[in-house]
Amino acid sequence: MIDFSIYKTEKPEVYAHKCPECGTLHYPVPMICRHCSTRRDPSGVFYSSWEKVPLSGLKGKLLTWTRVYALPTGFTQRYLLFGIVELENGIRASGRLLMDKPKTGMQVVAKVGLVREKVGQDVYGFMFDVPSTGSNVKKS
Amino acid sequence: MKRVAITGIGHTIFGNLSEFDLVDIMAFASSEALDDAGIRKERKIIDQVIVANMGGGILNHQTGIASSLVSRLDLEPAMAELVENGPASGGSAIKMGYAVIMSGMVDVVMVTGGEAMRTVPGWEATDFVATLLHPKAEYNYGLTLPSFGAMFTRLYMERYGLTEHDLALLAVKDHENGAKNPYAHVQIPCTLEGIYESPDAKVVNNYIAEPLRLYGMCPVSDGAACIILCATDSPKMKYFTKKKPVFITGVGSATDTHCVHERQDPLELKAVRLSAERAYKMAGITAKDISFAELHDPFIILEIAISEEVGFFERGKGKDAISKGITRINGKLPINTSGGLKSKGHPVGATGVSQVHELVKQLRGEAEKGRQVTWFGS
Repeated sequence: MIDFSIYKTEKPEVYAHKCPECGTLHYPVPMICRHCSTRRDPSGVFYSSWEKVPLSGLKGKLLTWTRVYALPTGFTQRYLLFGIVELENGIRASGRLLMDKPKTGMQVVAKVGLVREKVGQDVYGFMFDVPSTGSNVKKS
Repeated sequence: MKRVAITGIGHTIFGNLSEFDLVDIMAFASSEALDDAGIRKERKIIDQVIVANMGGGILNHQTGIASSLVSRLDLEPAMAELVENGPASGGSAIKMGYAVIMSGMVDVVMVTGGEAMRTVPGWEATDFVATLLHPKAEYNYGLTLPSFGAMFTRLYMERYGLTEHDLALLAVKDHENGAKNPYAHVQIPCTLEGIYESPDAKVVNNYIAEPLRLYGMCPVSDGAACIILCATDSPKMKYFTKKKPVFITGVGSATDTHCVHERQDPLELKAVRLSAERAYKMAGITAKDISFAELHDPFIILEIAISEEVGFFERGKGKDAISKGITRINGKLPINTSGGLKSKGHPVGATGVSQVHELVKQLRGEAEKGRQVTWFGS
């Protein structure tokens, strides 16, 4: 029998990183805190590696959006919707939109789903949805 | 006072040149510049070659392009370096050329920008340009440069009342100039009826990334442009007698956050404003002294937004200049006399050099009939 436990079962998530000195949240993560200049060490050997703060489930506001018909290589959809969202904790992020008729300023909720399939690698990222509707995010 | 003179210019046609290889395209534009400067036989006076190119490694599977160009032109033992700075590579290469001359290190510099993007299909070219986005927070999603251009356009429309009609008018203006430019990729004029008012317009001018349509985007082009620079205090200036020199009086550049979402106000192009301020300061002039300009408009909205950031118009008022015809070729402040990236095309590495090529051509009074601006010096 195949032991499936050897495969990664970790829930896909998108993280902000928290500066250990001043608490500023960063997304994506820099090497030096923009607020207090504290250094980060990804290995955690010389300086602390910063705390990861999950961003899925947070509510936010849609700042702007587009429906793109000319997609790059690797995508076979007729079109995809993208937007920039400001989350309730102040973090801003670009991501896919799941609703078909977005409106600037609308409330959204951050979900995490499969955004790109590379050869041998599934890439997970933000998919913003209307808060009330059920999950239609593709599960891993 | 030591200054930097532009003593020769060269250009290839922009368009689909996929039957030629990247270095040949660059070498052709460079030869044009050697002839324009009148130094083809004395070409070994060139001390330094700077090449602007973004995709040689990715699209053409070639590296060491600057040295390769030197050999193709028989310019050895000139120094050679490549400048890769995304679609700003051309402008950056000229800036570096200016800097190495002003430092006193060299006297004569050839700056050649070139790109061969049509060797791959459109979706791969789109993917290639998108590699300049943040790999994890942007690129991975399938976000592209047109996607961000479109989101910028939507924000601008909602804040300043810009309409699709305004954008169509701007495309008509760009194509009016591009149609008369023998180097332009799309040398065809377009009408408001054809791309906006008629029932066919929605098909002819379809959405690429809402709210941007086909005529709101630059084409994917191959091409190259070249300028030759010389220090005015150099004895080598004696070789450049064929054409009147044009001087570089101010250079500026700046950067903004890598991720678009990290910008406080995404409609503010801080790097554009700062680079213009730096260049004005170096030249000792203000925006009011400018007679005509080439602005970077891969997406048509950027011509409007940049014209505001560099101080030509108040914020939100750039669009009024279109309907009033201020930026047309015979207007008070002609913008993108070459047709802009919209109509001339956008071989990314070549674009910055091509824009300076156009400015020199206009200043010399060598632009084609119906495309020559009248400025105070002409």
